[in-house]
Amino acid sequence: MKRSLLDILCCPVCKGDLALDVLKEDETGIIEGTLTCTRCSVAYPISDGIPDLLPRTESHH
Amino acid sequence: MKKIPLSVIFDPDQVYQPETDTYLLLDVALKEFRSGDRILEIGTGSGYIAAGIMGLIQSQLEGNDESSFVVGTDINPHAVRCAREKGVEVVRTRLFDGLRGSFDLIVFNPPYLPTLDEEKIDDWLEYALDGGPDGRAVLSRFAKEVGMVLAPGGRVLLLISSLTGEEAVIENFTKLSYKVEIVTKRRVFDEELIVLRIRKNESFN
Repeated sequence: MKRSLLDILCCPVCKGDLALDVLKEDETGIIEGTLTCTRCSVAYPISDGIPDLLPRTESHH
Repeated sequence: MKKIPLSVIFDPDQVYQPETDTYLLLDVALKEFRSGDRILEIGTGSGYIAAGIMGLIQSQLEGNDESSFVVGTDINPHAVRCAREKGVEVVRTRLFDGLRGSFDLIVFNPPYLPTLDEEKIDDWLEYALDGGPDGRAVLSRFAKEVGMVLAPGGRVLLLISSLTGEEAVIENFTKLSYKVEIVTKRRVFDEELIVLRIRKNESFN
């Protein structure tokens, strides 16, 4: 994901701001990392360039 | 164990592949696009429509259009990977859950087939097809939530089918004080595909 995408993302549960932690980045953008809700502290993974903003409490494969 | 990049692992059988409805909605979206539009495709599936719009932005405007962008979402992990392979910026989320505005053009080819519980197939493709008992379950939620991310003056392009109940869908949006226009209709076998353009009724307070 491109860094600019962060502007349009929020926590899917409480709509809070997300803080970005980057583990791996290349010319296409962020490949691996974490988006953590600054309000409810839930962490959402970015893997293979795709932020996964499904509530963590639900079980999705 | 060696980690295999997940982006290459997706099951195409679990992703809705482009069909007549996809092509019809892309045609309309390409005509609707205006330079500078911030575009969101909900339920991007294979990413065919989002990638098609990106192609227009890049070719027609020769890359000078810095402000336009396209983002696709899907709940289906196979779909987001498939769309990303096409170069689409994707977010895995349910409808608008992980998103904040605002967008000038929102495109949605929703799951609209009336589906009874006993007809459910319980796989990821189900999310692309299953519109609940009346075909409008996801559409109702979409109608309630789209206003949160639609920019003032923004447009929604929505594909529905005669199987979904055209009148009921339109009524659902007009009740929420949206203005609905029929852009085009196309008959495909025993159903008719309909593309609606939906806007906030700016004069309504």
